[in-house]
Amino acid sequence: MQQENAAKFCAGCGYSVILMILNQVLAAQNVQDKAVMGLDIGCSLLGWNYLPINTFQTHHGRVVPTMLGYKRAKKDSISVAVVGDGGAYAIGWQSLFYAARRDEPITVIVVNNSVYAMTGGQTAPTTVCGQKTDTHPAGSREESFYGPEILKTIVKPGAYLARSAANDPKGIFAALEKAVQTQKAGHFSLVEILSFCPTNWRTTGKATFDYLENLKKIYKIGEV
Amino acid sequence: MFLKILIAGDGGQGVQTIADIISKASFQKNWEVSFIPNYGLEQRGGVSLAFIQISDTKINYPKFSKADILVILSEQARGRVENYKQTETKIFDYKDFADILRENKIGEKSLNIFALGWLVKILKEQKILEADMVNLLLEEKLGLKDIWDDNKWAYKVGLQ
Amino acid sequence: MQNNKKLATGHEAVVEACFDAGAKMMYGYPITPTTEVFTGWIKKGGDYLQTEDEIAAGFAVCGGVIAGQKAFTATAGPGHVLMQDALSMAEGMRLPFVAIIGQRGGPSSGTVIYSQQEVTLACFGGNGEGLRLVYSPATIEELYSLTRTAFNSAWKYQYPTIVLSDGYLLKSRGVFEADKTIENVESYPLVKEGQQKHWRNIFTFEEELNEEVVRNKKDWESIKNEVVRSENYQTEDAEILLVAHGIVGGAAKDAVNELRKNGQKVGLFRPITLRPFANEAFDKIAMRVKKIVIVESSLGQLAQIVRAEMAPEISTPIDYIQYPGLGIEAEKIVEYFK
Repeated sequence: MQQENAAKFCAGCGYSVILMILNQVLAAQNVQDKAVMGLDIGCSLLGWNYLPINTFQTHHGRVVPTMLGYKRAKKDSISVAVVGDGGAYAIGWQSLFYAARRDEPITVIVVNNSVYAMTGGQTAPTTVCGQKTDTHPAGSREESFYGPEILKTIVKPGAYLARSAANDPKGIFAALEKAVQTQKAGHFSLVEILSFCPTNWRTTGKATFDYLENLKKIYKIGEV
Repeated sequence: MFLKILIAGDGGQGVQTIADIISKASFQKNWEVSFIPNYGLEQRGGVSLAFIQISDTKINYPKFSKADILVILSEQARGRVENYKQTETKIFDYKDFADILRENKIGEKSLNIFALGWLVKILKEQKILEADMVNLLLEEKLGLKDIWDDNKWAYKVGLQ
Repeated sequence: MQNNKKLATGHEAVVEACFDAGAKMMYGYPITPTTEVFTGWIKKGGDYLQTEDEIAAGFAVCGGVIAGQKAFTATAGPGHVLMQDALSMAEGMRLPFVAIIGQRGGPSSGTVIYSQQEVTLACFGGNGEGLRLVYSPATIEELYSLTRTAFNSAWKYQYPTIVLSDGYLLKSRGVFEADKTIENVESYPLVKEGQQKHWRNIFTFEEELNEEVVRNKKDWESIKNEVVRSENYQTEDAEILLVAHGIVGGAAKDAVNELRKNGQKVGLFRPITLRPFANEAFDKIAMRVKKIVIVESSLGQLAQIVRAEMAPEISTPIDYIQYPGLGIEAEKIVEYFK
């Protein structure tokens, strides 16, 4: 099944690519019918009617507990939670941490563009130290937030944690494929994907790519 | 028939234990029963209260403001339950039984069971409960504890 | 025992009702006075998860019901406050979400004991329009039967449904007979395999949301008569009408009996559903009595509902007996009439 609806994401956003690849992975694994995608409230919500799979929105920071509840009720489903860095590492951090700790067999996709994009680019946990935003006009003061790395210390054997980037479709495909297989094997999986946000980075063309490449230096690509 | 019994003591004196036995026994006799403990934040200590109602009609509310029978097992408890007294209230005040308790060698740990005996005597007289039934429940609940003999004795004395 | 009577606590009655209703999963977090609903459910072998907080519990219930599972939760006080995020989503997305709430003193941590101060929260919490079903039991027997009904109503009508009890009723032990003749409404998945359902709770335009809310309200109005419940107690010739819910409704019955002994023509209207409120039944009596007295363990949360629901033409004077966070025995109500 092809992705049908037009993308509502900004031009240059990483979401369209990421979700299309997710759809390819689900199709390749033959689980589109069994798949259910939950969306956090943030730019992820714009994907609510994007893929030819069951999709529903949840609340900001709440997609992870919703999808674990779905999965526990329907164990043969492929339960996917799509969330931004804010929803995953700030407001939803506690529930993400505990879902990982309990090895809930869901797949969490964290689309990390290092800002709160939908609300205009405020500081997020993954905002780079010194980066200036509307809520930190003098530059953010905390260090980078390494979500998958922190979770690595508390997950059970069999869990899969990885980071990829929006300009590496092959890498994304491989990571998401492994994630779905991990879910099928009954374990927790999380893939953080560094993503473009030219709208809030206020970049165009090459500057957008450079920004992403810079993020890659701070947030390492690969399995965690 | 509508009887309101308030049992009061320190946490750990076994107030809830005897309240539990009275309510079960009343239920077994086909009465309508209501029993609610007070409770607060502390896991231990503080005052422990048990509100019991026994009736032949449905009981509409789990608490009451005036008791027909009041059992006081400690000083701390006494202060808490002053307002529940009416002129007709039958009162068990542990202080009044100091001599009897001493003479019969009934220890602190069995004070509640002694009080239970006293209570059951009244309920027996009013044809609400039978002593044997309570005995059975008592044994069921406390029979396995080391101080069972002390308790059994305390109950017997209390009944008199 | 020849009959099915048993001696049980409120908690035990709730747990029994949840099992009998076919509930399959409980998400919970310990909080007085509903912890024993959780531990009781677990002791009897129910499937469960203790989450890290009530927020996760609520959203896990949402996920479960979306998948077609009879999932539920129980909470109180500050936990009930946290639960509003999930209840809002359930209200917006019409999810058969069932919650057992044990009212305790508020605001803030208040007391762990008792109140009727979570009425507004249960009925109108979150950022919605109060499209929730709220049941208020007065006895252990009603706790059982209304919990059964809550599951049925939730799955039949698709509104978040709350059984609004309190710390006294849940902790008290009494004699009750469970109505085992109640039949269950079956659950069903809200999202089916291969359906490609695209389901949102956020809208781009004001008009889209407005349509959704208006439609949900229309459904609400259409089911109202099937759902509302109330009790009239000695109201036929009443001159003064008491209005009270939950166990205060129980105390009010005793007060009516006592006052009638002294020749006072007092009756009681006891709402059993707070949402929707039985306004038609209420108005019939309200218009012919001389005075209405609303009794509650809060500073007017029930009164607000009664006044809002009462037909505007009715000009019967209203007075209030309010003891926020305090139990109200019959004697206290009788005192008012002296």
